[in-house]
Amino acid sequence: MSDGSPPHDRVWEVFRQEAEGDPMIHSGNVRAPDEELAMHYAREFYGRRQESNRLWVVARDAITELDDPDLLKPPFDRSFKRPGGYLIKHKLEAAKARAGAAASGEGHE
Amino acid sequence: MSENAPELSGPTRDALAQLLLGIADDEFVIGFWDSEWTGIAPMLEEDVATSSISQDEIGHARALYEMLAGLTGQDADEIAFGRQPDAYRHAALMNHARTDWAFTIARRYLYETADTVRLEALARSSYEPLAQLTGKMRREERYHLMHLDTWLRRLAADADANSRLSSALRSLWADALAIFSPVPGEDVLVRGGELPEPMDSLRARWLEQVLPVLTDLGLPGPTPEVLAAGTQDGRTRRTDDFRWLHGEFTMVAASERGATW
Amino acid sequence: MDDQERADAFYAHVMGGGKVEADDWMPDDYRAAVLKFVEMHANSELMGVLPEREWILRAPTLKRKLALTSKVQDEVGHAQLLYRVAEDLGKPREQMLADLMAGKTKFHNVFHYPTRSWGDVGIIAWLVDAAAIVSQQALRDSSYAPYARTMKKICWEESVHIMHGRDVVLTLMNGTSHQHEMVQEALDRWWGPLMQMHGPPTEPATDRDLIWKIKSKGNEQLRQEFLGIYVPRIRELGLTVPDKELRYDEVEGRWHYTEPDWAELRNVVTGHGPMSQERLEFRRTNHAATQWVRDAVLGAPSAAA
Repeated sequence: MSDGSPPHDRVWEVFRQEAEGDPMIHSGNVRAPDEELAMHYAREFYGRRQESNRLWVVARDAITELDDPDLLKPPFDRSFKRPGGYLIKHKLEAAKARAGAAASGEGHE
Repeated sequence: MSENAPELSGPTRDALAQLLLGIADDEFVIGFWDSEWTGIAPMLEEDVATSSISQDEIGHARALYEMLAGLTGQDADEIAFGRQPDAYRHAALMNHARTDWAFTIARRYLYETADTVRLEALARSSYEPLAQLTGKMRREERYHLMHLDTWLRRLAADADANSRLSSALRSLWADALAIFSPVPGEDVLVRGGELPEPMDSLRARWLEQVLPVLTDLGLPGPTPEVLAAGTQDGRTRRTDDFRWLHGEFTMVAASERGATW
Repeated sequence: MDDQERADAFYAHVMGGGKVEADDWMPDDYRAAVLKFVEMHANSELMGVLPEREWILRAPTLKRKLALTSKVQDEVGHAQLLYRVAEDLGKPREQMLADLMAGKTKFHNVFHYPTRSWGDVGIIAWLVDAAAIVSQQALRDSSYAPYARTMKKICWEESVHIMHGRDVVLTLMNGTSHQHEMVQEALDRWWGPLMQMHGPPTEPATDRDLIWKIKSKGNEQLRQEFLGIYVPRIRELGLTVPDKELRYDEVEGRWHYTEPDWAELRNVVTGHGPMSQERLEFRRTNHAATQWVRDAVLGAPSAAA
């Protein structure tokens, strides 16, 4: 913490779960001298209205951040890794048309 | 509420009303004093926590006044706001003003630990509505106790804070014992099981639990003189501090009796 | 890329709707502008506690006591959220509190005025919070993302306050003649400060907070929005807005009103309001009285604030 701040005070990030089974979502942060008070304060800020099913409290300096675009948004095509990278509409139409022509040409089995 | 309440004999109802009034007034008055910290507590985060705790106390007071209203045919707000100062039945511990943080933590610690013993007994009450209500209150009180225990230990661990806390405790012990002042008609309730144990027995258990904790932290217990002194008027004696508070909390309600707010 | 190029790219990003996070590189001007904006907002939440706090003890029913304590608690919570946002921009909380208490930084005009009755409690919770929420909703899309996210949480919490305030006012307006008079009298005193609250109209071409999308609406637009929603709601209760010039012009599509006293606004926010000094002194006294607690639990700071 920068100059002027008390030496034992730290920032703790709070993640909350809205309902059973939901993901933990980052919701904010509190200042506290240790984990015990951080938990009490997380409860106050993110749970006193009965709005959370679960809370995680994590010291800010325990978190490692990655925001490097070369790693997260690299330039080469990666569409083969996503459903949207496979465009089957025209091929499907063509295949159905071919199957339909074959069936009418040979008659029903 | 009164339609569902189990049938009670006259003497039992009167004694139970006295018991409920005492507990409700304890929660109401301590809730009021500690709500004064809203906006000015030592740290912003702690401000929100302290405010929650004082709101819980008012919420408990409300539930108790409503139960009492069911027994006496009055209205909860009338009971809470409509009496003269001498008709309040909170323990003398709650006569003191908020004062400072050491005082607040000391008073709260004494109150919450005593209340825990009291609630544990009442959760076994033969009066079913009270057993259920105290069961609910105990769940909320767990958080209060956790929070107070945290603060007591932290302050006790710092030399300056320890001395302030010790000073506060010394000035509060006599009035804290008043939490277990005998209730008028107590023997009727003990016989009927509405109050599973007499106040004396609860007080002894409380001291057994609390004194070792305080000793470990280098904090003072009651002196032999304080222990020997009686607490007959523990729920009836009042102070100017409380009269001031009464003036504040009745100010608007009294400005136009019978009006809806 | 040199700093000028970086700054140009940064401003193109925010002006194009891009977002900024706490540890992103930002030009000093942008950082300073956001910090000033957020710090004043945080100060306002903290000082805003004081006018209503007096009435916590005086609330006339159990339900009102709980609601008002909870509302004021929320304001403290908002102060915490906003000081955290500001602190992550580089200014320690202790420094911000010290500057506020020394009168070096500002807080919104409405919190420099006294409260006189329970009627004030209703009017403040309803209309002052409403005026604030109009501003805050427009900040939910701020270019500075931590602030935008905080605004979403704050707006959700403020909506409860407005309901509480309106409920208090409605109860009084359905009550005795003494209670009606109490509300009208409170409205008469609060209307001036409310009209000044969003500030004088600014020039969009030079308003950097608008240009850099720290905020998305100008002062006059916010005031018009407030009037549009709340004047009808005030009048439908039988209350009179104390401004004879107040009317909606269908042709121009805007409200006309008596020009607010901008000199009063300037005077008040620079610490000369009726309660400015008393409230700052109250803060200083209480802060000093609890310093031993912070020292014991957080450790005494090595650098003087």
